[in-house]
Amino acid sequence: MNQFGVLLKKEWRENLRNYKLFWIPAVFILLGITEPVSNYFLPQILDSVGNLPEGTIMEFPVPEPEQVMVAIMGQYQLLGLLVLVLAYMGTIAGERKSGTATLLYARPLSFKAYFMSKWMMASIIALLSVWLGFLAGYYYTYLLFGSIDLMDLIRFGFTYSFWILLVVTVVLVASALMPNAGLAAAVSLGVIVISQLVDGLLGAYWPVSPLKLTAYAAAWFENGPDLADFWWTAGTTVLLIALLLVLGIYISSRKAASTKI
Amino acid sequence: MEESKLLLLLLPVLLIQLGLMIFALIDLIKIPYTNGPKWMWGVIIVVVNIIGPILYFVVGRRNY
Repeated sequence: MNQFGVLLKKEWRENLRNYKLFWIPAVFILLGITEPVSNYFLPQILDSVGNLPEGTIMEFPVPEPEQVMVAIMGQYQLLGLLVLVLAYMGTIAGERKSGTATLLYARPLSFKAYFMSKWMMASIIALLSVWLGFLAGYYYTYLLFGSIDLMDLIRFGFTYSFWILLVVTVVLVASALMPNAGLAAAVSLGVIVISQLVDGLLGAYWPVSPLKLTAYAAAWFENGPDLADFWWTAGTTVLLIALLLVLGIYISSRKAASTKI
Repeated sequence: MEESKLLLLLLPVLLIQLGLMIFALIDLIKIPYTNGPKWMWGVIIVVVNIIGPILYFVVGRRNY
């Protein structure tokens, strides 16, 4: 436990010094703000840059505030995930390459503490970013479109948090598995995109899958997801994260020898 | 009226953007060497909106 504390402190300092603690939340907040604002000003924007013929009249349906929140989540699913993958692709692979790992591995290191400290720090920053972004987006949506039930928003955020945790875990395991950061990013993006594709094509046959978390998150704004399905999905996701963590610890200890000096 | 409202709404966005730029520039000055020439990253950070500083943090810093 003590070693975990020391390593967590090291992770904290590292994330502070390479500014990840600042720029990742900044990106999510920007995404959260721009979505409602650009939605609100869409008619004016089209008017000034759209180069439409004189007299064109376009009717835009004003989106519901809930739809705007779901749209923010859509942005996170594209750009947000990309940012998370790029930010954490090198957590372990990059450390092996830069030589930091050599200093660490030369000591009697508990790989459990090592991997978990990295996972903990990455998860904290990712969740912080997502929640700050949702809150910023919620505030703007409230100003421009109308209010959303706060409980719905919290349920929505919690459901999405499970998915973000899973993504962070996948990236870290890929980083432990692959020889360099670029490959780790490619593998984790590949896994995320392919599983989304498979779920999109065949997902109608099973209601329980971590890929459905985004759909369930959005469903809170309507009648709410089927509770049994939702809890099974959440449980499966937690189990999957736990399995991946065990796998990650095992891989990072097995591949410790691949460190370069 | 609409214009000033838009400006007020976008003020936080501008501030975050400026903050990102300043953080990236401070880091660029302090760091001994980057991926590619330093002046190029300086230009990218200042000229390319939002994406510039992020690109620098992800690609330009040699943390990997």
